Amino acid sequence: MTDEQALIAALRRRDKNALAEIFDRYSDRIYRLALSVLSDEQAADGVVQDTFMTLIERIDTFEGRSRLGTWLYRVAYNNALSRLRSLKPQLDLDGFDEDDVPIPANLVDWQTTPEELLGSAEAMAEVSRAVETLNPALRAVFLLRDVEELSTQETADALGISPGAVKVRLHRARLALREALAGYFSERLGM
Amino acid sequence: MDCETLITYLSDYIDNNLDEDLAAEAEEHLRTCHNCRVVLDSTQQAILLYRTQGKQRIPMQRRSRLFRQLEEALAGQDCE
Ligand SMILES: [Zn+2]
Repeated sequence: MTDEQALIAALRRRDKNALAEIFDRYSDRIYRLALSVLSDEQAADGVVQDTFMTLIERIDTFEGRSRLGTWLYRVAYNNALSRLRSLKPQLDLDGFDEDDVPIPANLVDWQTTPEELLGSAEAMAEVSRAVETLNPALRAVFLLRDVEELSTQETADALGISPGAVKVRLHRARLALREALAGYFSERLGM
Repeated sequence: MDCETLITYLSDYIDNNLDEDLAAEAEEHLRTCHNCRVVLDSTQQAILLYRTQGKQRIPMQRRSRLFRQLEEALAGQDCE
């Protein structure tokens, strides 16, 4: 029995420690995914709550065909998307052309940026602002691949999309962030 | 390989997902093309910055409240 199966078995016995362990492992990840989709802390808390409630309700029938983490991500992502649709019904989640490759325009070399500016709160706020402008469907992929460091396949399983879509969205998201930061740093450095 | 092709493969190159021949062509292009080198370096830098910025956690107070509610739900199921 794997450690994960043991945890699931313990949760079936309504073991509080098993709940605490699973919550410790996954709550921040689920929160970040929800936040990446919704950009709203309160709504993200709601996703965490709903996701774990679903786990508690369905633990007796949880089949363990997918890994627990993948299953939780899936529930959380669908929950976040349905909240997003009711918060912003006009938002088009497929509103990006998947074939259109963005061409890098700002070619300023900001490798020389001093460490203290690179790691500054201002630069971090700029990263956050730039990511925020991306379509939520791109943000979810970007987060799972480049922050949580899941593989392409794991990300595809977690979000219920194809590996090809993961790759295209990641590529677009990375180039968009690069472009935004190139603009920011070149202005900041007066280049 | 030209610049446009290099950019198309940039993410795969960063993730080491190109087959040997393509990777070699990309390397060759990057050795000679300053612009693409800049795009590669700055994209990698952007990813690192996002990795640092993106690791938020649920603030402690809200986290405790969330967990308490779940604990109650779990205990509540017991009595059914
Ligand atoms: Zn080039």
